Amino acid sequence: MYKIFLLLLFSFILFTGCSQENEKEITISTNQWIGYAPLFYAYEKGYLDKLNIKIINNVSLAEAAELYRVGKANMVTTTQHEYNMLKHETQDIIPIILLDRSNGGDMVLSNKSIQELHSADKIYVYLEVDSINQEIIRDFIKHNGLDIKKMTFINQDQQQIQDVKFKKNRATLIVTYTPYNIHLEKKGFFEVASTKNIDAIIVIDALCTTSELLKHDKKRLLALKRSIDKSIDVIMKDPKASHQIIKKYISNMSYREYLTSLDSIKWINKPSKELLNYISDLDYKEEYIIQ
Amino acid sequence: MKKLSIKTFSLILLLTVLSMEIIVFYNFYTSTKTTIHNLIKENLQTDILNLSHYLNKTFHPGSINSVASHIDNILVINNAIRDIHILDDKDKLIYHPTTRYGNQHAFDTNCLPIAKIMQSDILNNQCFEFQLKFYNNLDPYHYKVKIYLDSEYIHNILIEEAKKIFLLFLIVSLVSVAFLIFIEKIYIIIPLEQLRRYAYYSEYPPKNFFISELESIRYSLQITFERLKREQENLYTLSTKDPLSGLYNRLSLKEKVEWLISKAQRDGDQFALIFLDLDNFKNINDSRGHTFGDKVLLHVSKVLLNAVRENDIVARLGGDEFVIVLPKFENEAQITEVAQRIKEELSKTYNINDINESITASMGITIFPKDGKEFTTLLKNADIAMYKSKDLGKNNYHFFTQGLDKIVQDKITMHRLMEKALQNNHFELFYQPKVDIQTNKIVSCEALIRLHDPVKGIIAPDKFIPLAEESDFIIKLGDWIIKEACKQLREWSQTQLADVKISINVSSRQLNADIVQTLIENLRNIDDKKLDLEITESVFLDDFKTKLKVIKQLKRFGITFSLDDFGTGYSSLSYLKNIPFSTLKIDKAFIDELKSKQGKSFVNMIIGIANDLEMDVVAEGVETQEQLSYLKAAKCEMYQGYLCSKPLPPKEFEELFASDKC
Repeated sequence: MYKIFLLLLFSFILFTGCSQENEKEITISTNQWIGYAPLFYAYEKGYLDKLNIKIINNVSLAEAAELYRVGKANMVTTTQHEYNMLKHETQDIIPIILLDRSNGGDMVLSNKSIQELHSADKIYVYLEVDSINQEIIRDFIKHNGLDIKKMTFINQDQQQIQDVKFKKNRATLIVTYTPYNIHLEKKGFFEVASTKNIDAIIVIDALCTTSELLKHDKKRLLALKRSIDKSIDVIMKDPKASHQIIKKYISNMSYREYLTSLDSIKWINKPSKELLNYISDLDYKEEYIIQ
Repeated sequence: MKKLSIKTFSLILLLTVLSMEIIVFYNFYTSTKTTIHNLIKENLQTDILNLSHYLNKTFHPGSINSVASHIDNILVINNAIRDIHILDDKDKLIYHPTTRYGNQHAFDTNCLPIAKIMQSDILNNQCFEFQLKFYNNLDPYHYKVKIYLDSEYIHNILIEEAKKIFLLFLIVSLVSVAFLIFIEKIYIIIPLEQLRRYAYYSEYPPKNFFISELESIRYSLQITFERLKREQENLYTLSTKDPLSGLYNRLSLKEKVEWLISKAQRDGDQFALIFLDLDNFKNINDSRGHTFGDKVLLHVSKVLLNAVRENDIVARLGGDEFVIVLPKFENEAQITEVAQRIKEELSKTYNINDINESITASMGITIFPKDGKEFTTLLKNADIAMYKSKDLGKNNYHFFTQGLDKIVQDKITMHRLMEKALQNNHFELFYQPKVDIQTNKIVSCEALIRLHDPVKGIIAPDKFIPLAEESDFIIKLGDWIIKEACKQLREWSQTQLADVKISINVSSRQLNADIVQTLIENLRNIDDKKLDLEITESVFLDDFKTKLKVIKQLKRFGITFSLDDFGTGYSSLSYLKNIPFSTLKIDKAFIDELKSKQGKSFVNMIIGIANDLEMDVVAEGVETQEQLSYLKAAKCEMYQGYLCSKPLPPKEFEELFASDKC
């Protein structure tokens, strides 16, 4: 009896001693954007599973930001627009991993030329108002001297915009980004401006997190950064293979479209000094950026 | 260490189990409470997030009614939400579900951001808010939506759950305690009580137990009790039965006779007790060995059992002594009939180890209450009667009488007197001179014992010597005589009596190996030839070889032997031939007959034999001068008798010797 008791006690100590608290799951709220392809790739390859990191794919940046705002995610992909908005609302968001900057990935599509737009009585503008789209359209209006009073702004997310039945006679502008542009271009829209040629706008895509996660889980964040770097390397070196893996996350675009999309961004996971200096003005603090 | 009863121990155990159950249920309750909290919070969060999403997509101050139904719907579906307010960028209440567009104000409550809902305590934080952002063209407007929780509803859910858990706890506790008590009672308490009873009464062993330790104790007890019972039975048999014959032993006989006495006293009945002693059984043991003797005893036991009636009791007291109790008889003839049957059956020839033997027994019979009212008295009197049978020639039976009792009582008194006399030195040796007939000088003497009792005076030897010879007292007395005679020889050795021999009488019982040692010890510094041992023919009736061996051994030391009372017994010439006697003593009866011609012939014949065998002759009981003259003429060497002197104390004997008057 005494021996059995000792055995049970030993077993109890052994099992309870060997068990350890599981790492708390990290949830990344993101959306369809070619610049987030490394996250999708890492997730599909299982790199993130090892780190107990899962991703929630949303239809727009705004939706992704909303999940972070309400506490359903503790990491989020943002442009500087969502970053500033969330910083204002939650007071707790820190950019830690730079992913890409848009190099034509964000764009303005139209069914009319610039001249036709100037002559139009009314212009319907579809965009996600509460996103970088707003900065892009403002810059577009200003750059092309268009009259904002003629414009009617329709706030819809990119998924909704895809389904809109546009009237050909109506002068229409759509602020979108890759890969949503592809479907719209098939409907007859064409690019009238993009981040490739809008010099005033640099769209920075970054992965942000909470101060608590940064403080207590730095090790996993470093591992995440390594996984992203590794994924970017694969995407760059073998785009075809990566396309097969992640195409379901980017509207099943073709390989050609995939290559075009990749051309519309530049990876900034290993940022230059100049870029770091530049984005420091946007409150992206170098000390937190994992390089 | 303080001892606990099983009940107290069980109570402590139950309380411990109950305490553990309380801890488990308390943990279950807190866990359930947390789960319910989280479910409510998740549910609230979902509804609020949906509302937030919906409002952020569709809200416009100009079309507030379009969202009202959605908000109402949430309020109806989610009972945890008490109220939802929409406030404009100036914190003015622009929507309230119960009083739409009324002049209402938001509750003065601090609201937490919806992002904090999962970390908050929804019982204390009754309000959560989120920002409602909408655009007019590209211009943003920031409204607030406040969601008020129905803390009473949430609290009631928890209370209800707590009640359910408490009820479950009570049921589980009661059932488990009742079950434990039931199990404990069935498997521990009752078996322990059964074990206690079994241990106390050692009867009716309980059936096998389920608990192995208790079963082990039960089995051990059962084995132990069975062994004890066997041992008890063996002990009872040993204590009540004679191990050799299987007959009742003395203790058991005593119990049965005492029971019979009680019964007979109550019913006015009488019963008979036969004391049986085998005749000459010692000879069988000595000649055939004890193993053979045991077989004879076994045979006798069987014969006795077959000879008696069904209800008669047969017991063996020990040795060759048996007792038969006849609980019922009509008249003494029936007793005689049984005794006769025993006598006849025993005397039949039997065969043991291919040797045909026959045996006889002497029996003494007593009858309750006539011959004794107690067991010991009945047994003693039967023993007396048995000895009477022996005296009458053995192989017979004799009823006890009061006359027999008187003889025995006298013997007992005399025996006590002798024991006391030996302790207090009341015995004394007298010496009767043996006179050389030719020289008329005292040359020797016979030591004769006297008993001086302070109350009864001098007691003659014929009163106590035969009694002493019946028991081993004669050995102690003989040793004392040897010691005294040797002492006297030692004293005389330095006087004019230095050449006087002393003769002492030795009985049959004395003549064994022990006497050799006794004589060696007492004859130190004394001429062995000064001591003469007088023995009668009867000494040789039992165990002749052993006694002859002892005599020859003593003869080698120089001790001489005289054949006493020659002519009165068998007068076997073979004794004279085989035993190295130095002297023949003619019994006084022959001397008394010297007046007759026949008497003279016998004396002449004895003297003739002695002379032929070169033995000295001593005539005993010479009282007259005529007798002496005749003996002188017949060439008898010595005489002994009152003509010279009666037996005298040492001093007087010394004076007589010195006076030379014989």
